[in-house]
Formats: sequence, structure tokens, C-alpha cells
Amino acid sequence: MKLVEFRVVGACMALCLLHHPVIAQDSDYEIGLGKSVNDWLTLGGYFSTEYEKSSDVDQLQLDDVAVMAYGEFSNRFSYLLELESVNAYVANLERDTTSSNFPPTIERLYIDYKRSDHLSVRVGKQITPVGYWNQQPINVLRETSSNPRFSKEMVPKFLTGIDVHGFAPLGEDLIYHVYLQNSRDMDEANINIKPVSHYGFALAKQYGNGWRIGGSAGQFKEVMGSTSSTRTFTRYWQANGRFDNERYSLIAEGIINSESAVGAGRESSKAVYVQGEYRYRPRHSLISRVEYFHDTGVTVPERIGILGYSFRPVFPVSLKFEYQWHQESSYNRFVSSFSVLF
Amino acid sequence: MRIILLLLSIALVSVAEAAEYAVVVARNSPIEALDSERLRDIFLRRRSFEGNIPLVPVNLLGEEAVRTQFESQVLQMNRGQINQYWVTSHFQGIKPPATQASLQSIKTFIERVDGAIGYLPISMVDDGLKVLHEF
Repeated sequence: MKLVEFRVVGACMALCLLHHPVIAQDSDYEIGLGKSVNDWLTLGGYFSTEYEKSSDVDQLQLDDVAVMAYGEFSNRFSYLLELESVNAYVANLERDTTSSNFPPTIERLYIDYKRSDHLSVRVGKQITPVGYWNQQPINVLRETSSNPRFSKEMVPKFLTGIDVHGFAPLGEDLIYHVYLQNSRDMDEANINIKPVSHYGFALAKQYGNGWRIGGSAGQFKEVMGSTSSTRTFTRYWQANGRFDNERYSLIAEGIINSESAVGAGRESSKAVYVQGEYRYRPRHSLISRVEYFHDTGVTVPERIGILGYSFRPVFPVSLKFEYQWHQESSYNRFVSSFSVLF
Repeated sequence: MRIILLLLSIALVSVAEAAEYAVVVARNSPIEALDSERLRDIFLRRRSFEGNIPLVPVNLLGEEAVRTQFESQVLQMNRGQINQYWVTSHFQGIKPPATQASLQSIKTFIERVDGAIGYLPISMVDDGLKVLHEF
């Protein structure tokens, strides 16, 4: 049964690849750019599969399947909708069990209003505009299959609220974001942190020589359980830098969190990662990442090193392999993935 | 003789460096000039306005010389980098600029659509168009 299901997934992948413009007959469609029906409707989506092997995990999964629709109603109003099934199909090869989770959740749903290049407003469920990794959260757009802990545990990935953003009037190429959430998430099924309020700001500056730098600061509140008796407040300060040229990319992000709970003390955590990519041939690259994560509630800080290889026959199709070395060697693991944006 | 050779070489360099193409808008557009950085942002759809005027960038379909030169000189990107940029933008709900199949249809598009901005060989620029930038 498991084999049959994976054949179905494989057939779907093959169908997607057959839509590459070199192969496909329909010249209107180009893989990675979606199908544009008209100005107010473009359809697209993505999927990723992942294989993970460690001392206690041997697992194959169809971890993300998503569809997107977006468009422009005018030159000032636009929208985006993304529905996603997370862990759509998981095969535990060690225990010989399978599970599936196809009902989709709302990953993003928002409307944009552009007043000018200096003032735009996004309302709805959106990706929190913090850092680089958080804003390219899907496998196919990343250089590695895995995410740094930085991106998973420190800041809510999503914001259900309002983001006012644009080019700062006083600085060319300086982009600002001021964001606010004052409710629960629109769909809490697959989010990393479930805040009931969240606000902050972010700045990003781009230089002509391939460098970008930025930073953000904010605060969010979580409520544990059904009553509001257990609340935690977390403040964060984040900084990032990036360099890109035709052959190399270098990304670094760091964050400090300070968390306080009613009736409890203050705890802090910090995380940083540095990742380099070397595109040694067209379509082939080597990636290395080092991570550091320390939570004051945990005595031993975690250090992770990753070495990976990425092959992209075309940019929106990605095949990746990586090996992770953890400070606690039992966590060492091999991860590979295949992902497509269509 | 040396002076003649010097003048001749200066003339030849000037001819070699003369711009072949221009970024243009309709003659009645209030926009007077745009530098390369601003054009880059407009054609990568990072910026959508000049003042309060909504802009409609238009690309030539395919890989004609005028487009590749525009991409290398103004956008300062090769085709692979541009494809990567638009794939990433697709995830963010941003489409590439509209395309037209020929230079003549780009010219007509710019003349007829409010806020349209595109690039053409300088030889095609006439009284109906205004040059913002040469490359």
C-alpha cells in the first residue's frame, strides 16, 4: 500500500516536471511562475518531500503540499491566498507505519493596499516580516532542507494583523515595516508560536554591491491553556546581514529573546546562524551552516554544523542532501528532500 | 598627423559608446528622467509609483538584443538571476511585468496605456515618446 501511495506522489512530481517549458507544449505556463489566468488571478503552489535518517528516525514524508492564488484588482489593491497541508503523508520506515493529514489550513490570506512606494498596508494572515529565513519559509526556495532553530522557536512565523511598510521617505533603499497583531491567529493549526498579540518593526537596507543588512525588534504575548491565567511576554531583538554574487551567498542572522511569565522569573535565549553557499557549477552548489542556540532554561547550549549539496535542474525544482552534526551526537542525521514550486 | 589620429580615435570611441537604446514613456507623461537604480526597482516591481503616478513596466518577449542589454546594463542581472528573482517573487504574489511580442507593440502600448514605461531602440523614438534614460 505504501509503495502504491508513493508511486502516486512520484507520478504527480513527474507531471509537474513535464510542465517545464522545454518539455511542455503549453507555452503560457512556466514552472515556478504559476499559471496566470488574468490580472486578478494567478494560480500556483508547491510541494516538498523529505527523507530523514538518524539513529532513531527513518522517515519519508510528503511534508508540504500547497496551492496559492493571487492577483491585482487594480494598481493599488491586490490579494494572496495560500492553503497548505503540512505532513500530508508520513511513512515511518522503521516502524512500518503511515499517517496522513490532507485537510489544508490557511497559510496566508491577505489584502494589500499601495498608497505609494512609501506607504503600503497589508491586512490579514501573512508571514512576519522579520529576517531572511522567515520570509522564504518553503523548502524549494531555501538552500538546505532543514531550518535553523533560530527560525522555528524565537519569533512567530505568521502575523494575523496589519503591516504598514514601504521605502523610508528619508533613505533610498531603506525599507521599513511596522506590524501589529491583536487577536489569535486566523488558523492556528500549523504555526510555530500562537500569540494573542504581537507588535514590532523591521528595517532592511540594500546596497548596490550585493550586501543587505537589517534588523527588527518586537514583543508578543502568548496565553497557555484555555484560561488567560498563564501568560508569557517575549521581547526580541534581531539582526541580519546577507551578501550575494553570482557564485557565493553568505547569510547571517542572530536574535536575542527575553521571556517573562506572570508569577515566574525572566528567561532569555539567543540564537545565531551563519550560512555560506558556493555555486561551483551552474545548478550545483555546496552549502555549509553553523548554528548556536542557547536557552537559559537549558544548561548546555546547542551547536549544530551542516554540510549540504543542492542540485537545481531549473531554479524552481530542488534536490538537496545534507548531513547534520549536533553537539549531542545521537541527534546527528541525514536529510534529503525534493521540492518543486509550480 | 598625430592630431588627426587622436581626433579620429576620440570620434571612434564616441561612436562605440553611443547609446543604442532608451527607456521611454509617453510624451504627455509628467516624468522627466529616472536613473538606473530607480528603473531597476520599477522593472523588478519593487517600486510601483513615480510620485503619485502608478507605473506599468512592459518587457519585450523573448531574448532580443534590446532586452538582454537592458537586463545586463540597467537591471545588472543575467537571465538566470532574473528567473530566480521572479520565482521567488511568485511565492510572494508578485508577477513579472507584462510583455509585448514586438518593439512596435511596445511603442503602441506605451503611447496608449497611462503610466506605461518600456525600452526601445533610439531609432524608434519619435515625437509621441519621451526619453528618460539611455543605455
